[in-house]
This record gives sequence, C-alpha cells and structure tokens, in this order.
Amino acid sequence: MADKYRFIGKVTPRKDAVDILTGRAKFLNDLKLPDMLYGKVLRSPYPHALIRKIDKEKAERLQGVCAVLTWKDVPDWKGGTPRCKRVLDQKVRFVGDAVALVAATSEEIADEALRLIDVQYEVLPHVFDMEEALKPGAPQLYEEFPGNVVTPGVPFFGPKSLKEVVMGDVDKGFTEADVITEGTYSYENIPNPLPPEAPGAIALWEEPNKVTLWVSNQASYMDKVTLFHVFNREVEVRSIGGPCGGSYGSKFMSWQVQSHAVLLSRATRKPVKVCMTKEEHLAAFTLRPGSRMAAKVGMKKDGTVTAVSGRWVIDTGYYSMTTQSQVAVGCGEVQIMVRCVNWNLKPTIVCTNRNASGIVRGFGGQELKCILIPLLSLAMEKLDIDPFEFLKKNYVKPGDGYIWRDGIWYTYRGVDYSEAMDQGAERFGWKENWKGWLKPSSVNGTKRRGVGVGVHGNADIGEDASEAYVRLHPDGSAIIFSCVTEHGTGQRTNFVKMVAEVLQVPIEKVSLSPADSLFTPYEFGPAGSRGTYAIGSAIISAAEDARRKLFELVAPRLEAAPEDLDTEDGAIFVKSNPQRKLPWKVMGIDRTCTGYGRFEPDYTLSNCMMSFVEVEVDTETGQVALVRVVNATNIGQVIDPQGLEGQLNGCLGSAGIDSALFEETVIDQGTGHTLNANMLDYKWRTFAELPQIDNVVLETPFASHRFHAVGVGEIATSPGPSAILMAASNAVGVWLHEYPVTPERVLKVLGKTAPWAKKGGAA
Amino acid sequence: MRPFTHFNARTVKGACALLAKYDGRAVLNAGGTDLLSTLKGENLFEYPEAVINIKAITGLDDIVERKGTLRIGALTKLSALVNTPLLNERYPALAEAARTVATPQIRNAATLGGNLCQDVRCWYYRYPRHIGGPILCARKGKGPCLAVKGDNRYHALMGAKKCFAVCPSDTAVALAALDGQISIVGKEGERRIAVTDFYHPLENSLKRGEMVTGVEMPSVEKESRQAFLKFTLRKPVDFAIVSVATVITAKGGVCVDARIALGAVAAGPVRATKAEKILVGRPVDETAAADAAEAALAGAKPLSMNAYKIEIAKTLVKRAILESL
Amino acid sequence: MVNGRIHELEVGDQPGQVKPWDTLAHTLRETLSLTGTKVSCDHGACGACTVLLDGQAVLSCMTLAVECDGQRVTTVEGLSDPQTGRLDPLQQAFIDYTAFQCGFCTPGILMSAKALLHENPSPTEEEVKEALSGNFCRCISHYQVVKAIMAASGKEG
Repeated sequence: MADKYRFIGKVTPRKDAVDILTGRAKFLNDLKLPDMLYGKVLRSPYPHALIRKIDKEKAERLQGVCAVLTWKDVPDWKGGTPRCKRVLDQKVRFVGDAVALVAATSEEIADEALRLIDVQYEVLPHVFDMEEALKPGAPQLYEEFPGNVVTPGVPFFGPKSLKEVVMGDVDKGFTEADVITEGTYSYENIPNPLPPEAPGAIALWEEPNKVTLWVSNQASYMDKVTLFHVFNREVEVRSIGGPCGGSYGSKFMSWQVQSHAVLLSRATRKPVKVCMTKEEHLAAFTLRPGSRMAAKVGMKKDGTVTAVSGRWVIDTGYYSMTTQSQVAVGCGEVQIMVRCVNWNLKPTIVCTNRNASGIVRGFGGQELKCILIPLLSLAMEKLDIDPFEFLKKNYVKPGDGYIWRDGIWYTYRGVDYSEAMDQGAERFGWKENWKGWLKPSSVNGTKRRGVGVGVHGNADIGEDASEAYVRLHPDGSAIIFSCVTEHGTGQRTNFVKMVAEVLQVPIEKVSLSPADSLFTPYEFGPAGSRGTYAIGSAIISAAEDARRKLFELVAPRLEAAPEDLDTEDGAIFVKSNPQRKLPWKVMGIDRTCTGYGRFEPDYTLSNCMMSFVEVEVDTETGQVALVRVVNATNIGQVIDPQGLEGQLNGCLGSAGIDSALFEETVIDQGTGHTLNANMLDYKWRTFAELPQIDNVVLETPFASHRFHAVGVGEIATSPGPSAILMAASNAVGVWLHEYPVTPERVLKVLGKTAPWAKKGGAA
Repeated sequence: MRPFTHFNARTVKGACALLAKYDGRAVLNAGGTDLLSTLKGENLFEYPEAVINIKAITGLDDIVERKGTLRIGALTKLSALVNTPLLNERYPALAEAARTVATPQIRNAATLGGNLCQDVRCWYYRYPRHIGGPILCARKGKGPCLAVKGDNRYHALMGAKKCFAVCPSDTAVALAALDGQISIVGKEGERRIAVTDFYHPLENSLKRGEMVTGVEMPSVEKESRQAFLKFTLRKPVDFAIVSVATVITAKGGVCVDARIALGAVAAGPVRATKAEKILVGRPVDETAAADAAEAALAGAKPLSMNAYKIEIAKTLVKRAILESL
Repeated sequence: MVNGRIHELEVGDQPGQVKPWDTLAHTLRETLSLTGTKVSCDHGACGACTVLLDGQAVLSCMTLAVECDGQRVTTVEGLSDPQTGRLDPLQQAFIDYTAFQCGFCTPGILMSAKALLHENPSPTEEEVKEALSGNFCRCISHYQVVKAIMAASGKEG
C-alpha cells in the first residue's frame, strides 16, 4: 500500500525529533519571560464549605508578593457546562478547590504567602456517592442543580444533542429474547489520565482587555475559544501552544489554570506563570467520569441483542465541563458496538463533592463499554456465545446506522471491520485459547490463565471543523498554517508529510507554523482521532488549493491548461510533455501562493479497535498479571508506521487497560481527601512489566480523503479494561465485576478473604 | 523546599554534635531519597532548621565479614548491596531485599542506614499541605490515626498502637531474619539494638543526637538457605504490601533452624517465632510450610480493609520456606 | 562540572546563586538554564529528572545542588558533541525508531539508558527494561525505546 506514495506510509523521522532528544524542545515550564511572576493556588481542606472570611493582609505584605486574589477580587468569570463554576467562588466543593491566588517573584515566596492567608470556613455537609447525591435531602452543590442533577447547559452538539438512547420498543424486544439478564455494574475507580507534564499556563495581560497565553494543550485554539466564553466574551484571547507533554484529552478545554494565570497577570500587569505540582495535578485536575448502571439486556441464541434498557448514572465530580458530551458520544458509540433496534438507556449526570471528571481518551464510550460488556457477558455465558463472535457480529457494518451525538441518524459508510477482527483473533490464537465462559485457557499449579476480548470505535474521527492555509514560496518550499500542537501523536510531522505528498516536494521543504491562534484559522484540535481525517482533509485541501492557484498562475507561461499540469520537486511540468517545465520561482519572487482548506464535520465514518488480552492469575496471592495483548484495526492507509504503533501501544496508557488492573484514584470516603495524589501511590505501568503487544493493522481504503486514511489513536485505551475483567473472570471461574481487579478482590471471590467491612476508600 | 541551614559533617562525632546542638531540629541527609521528599511534603510535625550532609564521612560504607560477624556500614549504597559478591553468595536475602527497593536511580544514591531509618508511607501522614492538608494525626502528635476509620488497605496487621503505619524498609526485614543488630552512636557512645527492637509504632529508637552507623549480624551457616519475597502491585517502584524473609537450615531434609521475618505488617519487621518453633524438627514440606504460615499470621488483627494481607502473607511464608528446598 | 564545563556557583540568595535547599534539578533548570532535564513529580518517583552524577543515574530533584560540589553532572544537553553537535548514537537510535511520543519523559529515559550502556555496553532486553524501570512514560513509548536502545548497543531488538 505504501509503495504508491513517496512519503505516506513510509517511516520518516519526526521533524521535532532532534529538539526533543537534545532537550532543546521547550515545554511550558521551560519558558521564562522577562519580569515573570509565579502563581500559586490556595486550596480547600474541606469537601464542602462556605468561605466566611478571608484575611489576606499578611500575605500581601510579604516581600515579593505582587497580588493576592480571593473570590471578592475577581470578575464573575465562570466555566463549566452549564457555566456554573466561578473561577474563585465563595463556596468550595471538593478538597483541593481553589480558594485564593497569589503571584510573587518566586515560587517559594508564593508558597510562603499561601500560608499567610487566613480563611474561616463554615463547613457544610458533603456527599460523595452518586446515588446518595440524587436522594432528596442530600447536600446540594449548586442552586442551579436541584437534586444535584447536572443540567444539559447549552449543548455542544446542537439542539438535539444526544442525551439518551431511546428507540424502538424494549418491551417487545425483551419478549423476543432467548435470555434476559440484568444487574448493576460500575466503573467508578476514576483513574487519572496522568500526562507526565502537569498542567500550566503563562499569561500576559495587555490593557484594556487582551491577553496572550502560552499553553500546554493538544488543542490550543480551543483554549482561546473556551476562555473567551469563560471571560464573558469581554477579553480577546491569543493562545500560543508549544510542545505538550501529554494530554490524552485531559487538557482539552481545560480553563482553570489558564484563568488563574490570566487573573494574576491582570492584577499585576506582568507575565505570570502558574504550573500545577504533580499533587495538584492528581487531586485537582481531570479524572475519568465515574459510572454506575442498573440495566437489563435481552439476547437471542444467535447473538442478536433484542433490547437494552437501563439507568446510567454518571458522577462528574464537583462540576461538568464536557461530561454531557461524553455521555452523548458514549451513547452514540454503544450503538456502533451493538446493532440493537430497541433501546431505553437513560443517563443521569450527578455532581458530588470530589475532584471533577473530564475528558480522557475513550470519552464516555470507554465508561459505558466497561459497564455494559460485563452485563452482555452474563447473557453470552447463558447462551454459550463466544464473545469474539458476538462483538464481530454486532459491530456496525456499512449500511447500518446510528444516532450520533448530535441526535441525527447517520448511515455508516466506512469499511467492514470483520476481516481485521478475524486477523486479530488469528494472531492472538483466540480459537485455541477460548475454552468457554468462566473457564481458564490453561492451569499451571496455582496459576491460571484466562482470555478476554473487547472492542471500541468512534464516529468522531470526522468530528468538528478544521481550517488551514498552505502557502507556497518561489524557492520551492511551503508552510502550513494550522493550530495544531505536538502532544505525542507525531501529527505535526504527519501533516507535513501529507502536504509534501500533495506537492511532491521533499519533506524538508515543508514546515508547519507555530500553533498561534493569532494567525492560524479555526482548529478544533487533534482529538477523538480526528487528526488524520478531519485536520488532514483541511490541510490537504489547502495544499490542493494552493497548487491549483499556482498552476493557474503558471499555465499561460507553459501554454497549457492548468488541468494539464503537475509539479515535482519544485518544478511545474506539462503532464503529456514533462520536458516543458518551469520552476516555482516563475510565480515571481515578490509573490507567494496561498491556498485555503476547510473540513466540515462528517459522522458517517467510524474507526474500530479490537483488543484481545490474556491474563495470568496467581490464585494464592490474587495477583493478576497481563501477559499479552493483540490489538486489531483497519485504518485505510498508514501515514506513519512508527507513529501508528506508538498510538496502538498507548492502550496501556491514559487510564486504559490498567484501569482494570491497578489504576484508581483513592478518596477517603469520610473526609474527601485524595489519598494517592502522588506518583508512588497512584499506580502506573513500569518498563519492567511490559506485556507482549502485537498490533494487527489492515489497510482497506476509506472514502475519507486523498489518502483514504482514518485515525485510531483516541480509542486505543478503551477496548482493554472490560476485556481484562472478562479474562480474569475466565481465569478464576468466577465473575469479577469490580474495577480494578486488585489482589484483594480476586481473593474475595475465591473465598480466601472476607469482603471489606466498610468502604474506607474509593468504591 | 522551605529554607534550612546546611552543614557538611566530616565525622560521626561531628554529625552527632550538630544533632545534639539542634536538639531535634536538625536531620541527617545521606542519599536524600526519602528525606527530600519529607522536606518537600513538610511531613514532619516541625520543619527542621538544619540539614546535615553525612555523605563525606569516610569509613561508613564497608562490607566486611570477619570473626563470625558481618558488618555493613550505614552509608553503604543499596546498589553496592545488590552488586557485592559476598552478599549475593552468603546473604542473598539481604542482597535481594536491596534489589527490590524502589528504582535503579534511587538505589544509586540511597543508603542502608537511610533505608532503615526512612519515614513511614501512610498516605494520611504524607498528605501534602498544598492540596488542602496537612492532615494531623497521632504520629504528628495531634489527634487519632485516620487510617483506622479510613482507608487502611496498606496498614498494620499486628502490634499497632496509636499509629497504624507499617515499616517500609525491605532491608530491615532481611536483617531481622538474619538476627541483625543496628549500631548507633550518640552522646553516650556506641550501642547496639536488635532490628526487631529498633522500631515502635510512633517512631524508631534513635534518641536525640544519635545516628545509625551500621548493622551487624552473625555469619550464616553454610547449610542455611535464604529467601526474600516481596508482594507489590507493580514491579518495581512499589513499597511492599507484604514481605517475608527466611533463613532456614535443614539437615537431611529436616529443619534444624528457622528464622522467619514478616515485613509491612507492623511498625517494624516481625519475627514469627511461633512459626519458627513449629518448623524446627519437621521435614521441610508443603504441610509444614502451610502450618508455619498459619502460625505466623495467627496474631494478626486486621483493620477494616487489610485482611487480604493475611492471605498474601501466608502464601509468601509458605513459598519462602519451600524455596529453601 | 556540568556537561564538561565547570560552573562556579556561590551559595546565597541573590539571582545566579544557589540556595542550600535548591535541588540539582532546580539549579540546572533555573540557574544554568539547562531546561532539558524535566521536573514531573519532584518527589523522586517518576525518573523524569534523571541525570548522571559521576556516571551514575540519579534523580536530580532528590539531590541538593550544594552537595554536588566537585562532582561531574551530565544532562541530556551533554549527550551530543559540544563542538560539532553530532548526536550520540543513542539519540540517533531514538530518532530512527521514533522512540518517543510527547517527549517529556524522553530526556530522563535517555540518561538512564546512557548510564546503562556505560556500565553494560551489550545489555539484554531484560536488562534494558530493568535499567529503565524507574522511568515513567504515559504515552507508552516503551516498546520502541527498548528497540532503539538495543539497536544503539549494537544488537537489533
């Protein structure tokens, strides 16, 4: 497949490789501006309280302190969906909530100043459990949310934004079923996506109402858009995005650290840098949503799902920014996985007194799959249906449809993923290892192995809009103007590859502008695997437009029509007579040639990744070890083989597979403190325990753009967690339904230890 | 970090003198891999005024076996413990314990003395000030232990009073099984205390002005077999959820001497003396190992969330004993 | 000495001076403007701040700068040739294998790898993984990192 292209599909070094490997790449905390101050945040010790009095006088008098801000000193800037969370509020709603801001000439002085701020709280009753929060009489977090039910706000996806999956007739569906199963399932260990680089921002305020922000984000243009609204449309925001040390969704539409920096710069008229510590990152930035579902499914002997009904409760923590969107996409994605005609799935979003949930790879779909697949598995077990066959049969096929996040019905026009799934199963040895439900694939003394399979897919690969300019120069070079930052996917180089391919110039001749919203057009950002298709389309389109303009300019000189021309290595030639050629320079050395491209959202394509896992359980200690993983997908056309492999291997990162094994945010259920807000107690996978990973990648051209490619990175984390539960259950012969599958839980189902007397920590 | 005065001590005497002068308001810095974390986190009830660097003190990093005793200096790096042939051949439990500590970078700097004296890892005790802390507790001198009513999944199973944190040191467990003693120097000269007596629920045995200078233990019998097993959620990085060190001597398949130490179940390593007695005189087999495991954990008093540690500890005791076969 | 150059720094609290409580990481980044070394957790638990101290991989966030007097520090900036800019074979291997994604953890990984190859020029894959076991990477560059290090050591992974 790669042979027909010069650059696409070939291994090429990333353009930022040397900078990264020599330490020259400047991440946010590496930047220093002249006269820069450092900002710090005073955080609440209570999960729910009113601030009765704040005395900041001593802090203000400390030498080196330039500003101390409390809720009384800041404008009514609010974030969230709906916009209910004031940037500094008189009420605090979780342990770690922002109480005051300090800017000083050094971090140490700012820290010292925090100590000198005297706060008197009136402690209020708190609520941590999502169902307790829904009960009448529960402590109310916001006046705007009676019963702590988070309202839709202005829906991101339009007036018909998907809020639930309701269609057909579930009662009829249940009568058609051969088996009905029901139960309550949860995925509420609220793991942390945990990018290595903690969130931060540098703000430089300019009178009367302008601010320039240096941000660390995967989608820095959206910083500008989001903050514009947070600031009540009163401030002109310019965002400059540099190399981003990981985001995995979490920094997308983040606004608080940026707002803190902006407020402090506005108060001091100096640049202010605010960087979270790793503890703040873990205790006060973004977690996965928590989910609990009481549901019922009906299934036929042949694996057809005849009805799904249920109540999905989503805990968003102290507020929601994108949880409604995650629910919408989750509802869409579940229809892609299971082609059922009768649904009555009703989500309710609740707020509770803990750190907030937000965007993470998987975006609601991972959450829903993690609780629905175990319920489907119960039915599959009763009917003795192989889960691989079930998932393959039920995955969306060309011609099928689904109601997507905007409430509109789309007909799927992508490829049939069955072949990729079959090849994955073969590489894994699924047939040899699947021995039936709740049966190990092998037993070796006290060690038992089990296998599991999961799937995920997202029709957001063509979500939202992107724009780009491509400018050609007389010297045969080109530059792309697009607001994309590099956050690990290598996409900045991939876009260069795409343009180099369109223009047939060496990659060295193409560059990509800084991600500065001042001079780049609209860019939603690389998210939801849309980089390859959506951003790629805009950039390719801009390159094609520039090329077309160039040919129109030069055609008369070559006495040919523009359609008769082509270009290679900076020389334009007549296709039927390549000897007739002219260099780009003939456009004029006092001229450049700029093309514009735009991508309009397209929800008719979905990607897919199926993950097969094998675990080994030590039945005497309860330890579950991940032995091997096979990921299978079809992405149309590989743009960069090594970049793709990195994305698929990412199934182990961003609170993906390991959220089923050892990742969780532990919150004390009495006091609300996040107990494991550090890199020792929050568990992450080390080099020493790498499972074997095999990635099976097919390339069947997609009707996407010139290169027939689609993206896949975002979904890599999502098929794994439910597959792990399945595999561990099969290994020990008893259902394991709680995430993560800790040694304690395994010993519990094996009857070797008593259940916890009472919950001291997270559920 | 908050400010402090820094000193470089050149001798043990000099270090002790400074400690005495500051009367509890100074701390010693060896590898720094735990100290700097407690300073940054402000975990100690009172932030110290002075930090005394002891890395320049010579003569405290030897490993010498002579006249029936093995002596190891307190400044010996963990990486040295891992790589020294003498330890790998004759004291593998200790070498293995050192090898399982933390990460390669930490082992390159961390010392045996530091590993023994490191502060506890209880997540209430260590809760950072700047995210709504600090959390005060019995160990800090104010209030009850929050783990008792809270999340105690990693906390003590035995012997806890007032503070329920466990001793995080892996080398202490191996040393306990090896009948190790800790050498301490202070104003009153030098003294030795058994590893198993060094730890108490609220603090260790160091008095004001004292520092650990080394450890010593009797030379092992040639026929003895050692094991060190550490249960963690991940490898490496993690502190032990439970660990076990054993030194078993068998003649003709029958146990003549057994030393079993449990780690991460109490304020210090615990010698499972009942289990040891059960093993002596019996052939070393699955049944004997299982009986010993039961006896080793018989005194366990689980809290609301840590009973699972009992089962894992029993498994480790059993496996460690059988490794001696 | 940092990356082959001697720096004479005074202890004090004026700009350009080193405070007794400054970590080596802070001094490298803020006082010497060598921002290649990253601080991620600042508590010795993630390896992002790994530098070489007299050839040994250590955590610069857990080392006091004042205690490095007379010692040789090597940071990621010190891997390439100071005159020619030629990259260390390890760096080149990372480029060839795209052994990084966001790149934030990469300097720490490079330094751990450098320390390993110094001591053990021909490691096995297990030894590579063991040497890097203190380095946190969330994008999951691990597999490509192992391949790159094996290639740099002369053995294809």
